[in-house]
Amino acid sequence: MFTAALTSGLVLGGMYALIAMGLTLQYGVARIMNLAHGELMIAAAFAALWLFTSAAVNPLLGLLIIVPAAFAISGTIYRLLLTPLVRRAPNRDALEVDSILATFGMLFVIQGIMLVMFGGAYFSYSFLAFPVTIAGATVAANRLLALAFAAVIGLALYLYLTRTRLGTAVRAVAVDPQSAPLVAIDVRATAALAFAFGGALVAAAGVLVSMFLTFNANIGVVFTMKALIVVIMGGVGNLLGCLVAGLILGLAETFVATFVDPGLTLATTYALFLIILLVRPQGLFGTASR
Amino acid sequence: MLEVSNISVAYGKHLAVDSIGLRVAPGEIALILGANGSGKTSLLKAIAGMQPATGASVRLAGRELAGLPAHTIVEAGLALVPEGRGVFGELTVRENLELGAFAKRARPAEAKNLRHVLELFPRLGERLAQQVRTMSGGEQQMVAVGRALMSAPEILLLDEPSLGLSPLMCKELFAALARIRDKGLGILLVEQNAKRSLAIADRGYLIANGRIVGDGSAASLRDDPAVQRAYLGAAEPGRAMPPPDGA
Repeated sequence: MFTAALTSGLVLGGMYALIAMGLTLQYGVARIMNLAHGELMIAAAFAALWLFTSAAVNPLLGLLIIVPAAFAISGTIYRLLLTPLVRRAPNRDALEVDSILATFGMLFVIQGIMLVMFGGAYFSYSFLAFPVTIAGATVAANRLLALAFAAVIGLALYLYLTRTRLGTAVRAVAVDPQSAPLVAIDVRATAALAFAFGGALVAAAGVLVSMFLTFNANIGVVFTMKALIVVIMGGVGNLLGCLVAGLILGLAETFVATFVDPGLTLATTYALFLIILLVRPQGLFGTASR
Repeated sequence: MLEVSNISVAYGKHLAVDSIGLRVAPGEIALILGANGSGKTSLLKAIAGMQPATGASVRLAGRELAGLPAHTIVEAGLALVPEGRGVFGELTVRENLELGAFAKRARPAEAKNLRHVLELFPRLGERLAQQVRTMSGGEQQMVAVGRALMSAPEILLLDEPSLGLSPLMCKELFAALARIRDKGLGILLVEQNAKRSLAIADRGYLIANGRIVGDGSAASLRDDPAVQRAYLGAAEPGRAMPPPDGA
């Protein structure tokens, strides 16, 4: 039972980490607190479901279609809807407040479209659902695969941000947007890039989650809230912080649900969040952007 | 050759920079001396595109830069080391220098420029992996100057690079600036440390209340008794300024 809880905790935590990495990129670099983050994730989940059930496209191949599409859509959202806010905001704090209001509205628009298309019912599909035994515990193959993909995507993002010049420029905008133009970085273009990357990440998470969780059109908010908690726990703009905090949250939720009471899952989430806010308000690893 | 004419910066009704014109030739250090609040920082920021200016013409090698965004101006060959350095404190020395070469113009000669910077500031070579905010003020200033040089500029603007440095660091930094000039770069240097900066400068401008109130060769400015008063800000009657701390 312990190993089973451990593996499903890691899978869940890996998903949280991936979703939160997307949010922390958007918030840390572009200063957009995107409350519609989870909606994009669920939209990606529905896209994977639709591709799988009506076009028989395997969700892993679906990633190749859905992730670039999400990148393009997020980039377009930034250019059309958020750039006017960026232009008129006198400073980044004002942009933060404006972006919360704008994306709060966007949340309902995306959610409404999905409700019209799919209704409020829960959906799932069966892909690689056969059991695999590791260290005495049985896990569905699709969960393991989701974890592996999350790890690869997270690692690729980390290497991109730390080992390439463009990635370093993205981090430079996160830590000091005022100074970035001094080295010929176009801050607005970099912010748009980071926002698009954030959308691509959360869409990848949506596809992976759709392989093993049931979901409906209303559930995005839950993931946005958890991603927010993970981002704040790990330290804003800090990718490694996202990874660790995401795993902690996933493991804590699963262990409490397995060994104490499944009804206490949400309570555990917020208890952890409160403890970290009280003890280390700057997050586990400090913020990289303030 | 950098040629600035008729540049003005206003904050509301207050005119911080009032129709200033100046030029910087390759291979020379042009110095701007002036008291606190005389408009030096606003002038440099306006030239570099970090601050909106009105009516200005900023020409670098004949190309008009006024009105362009700051990141494009770096691409054209003008680099600013701002007051307070503006280094990326959370990143390492190596990352800061690499970002210096983010401009496309800097890519072809990146390896060569890095070698030059590390020759100029050997201390940076020993600390490539160190996070910049953990370094001393003088070392951070070296990172800032090195980062600006990595963008392969024709003209380098420096805003009070000696501020807060120990006398020893200050000496080292000014020696480095002289060597940068000798390699053919034009330097526009804003300083309060008149003694040390006049020692390495070729020419100088005196600025008070946003206007140029005098200019001449460094030697003539050194010998001019009025210079002492001018750079202290005492040129304006009824405006007392404390003497510089000599740091």
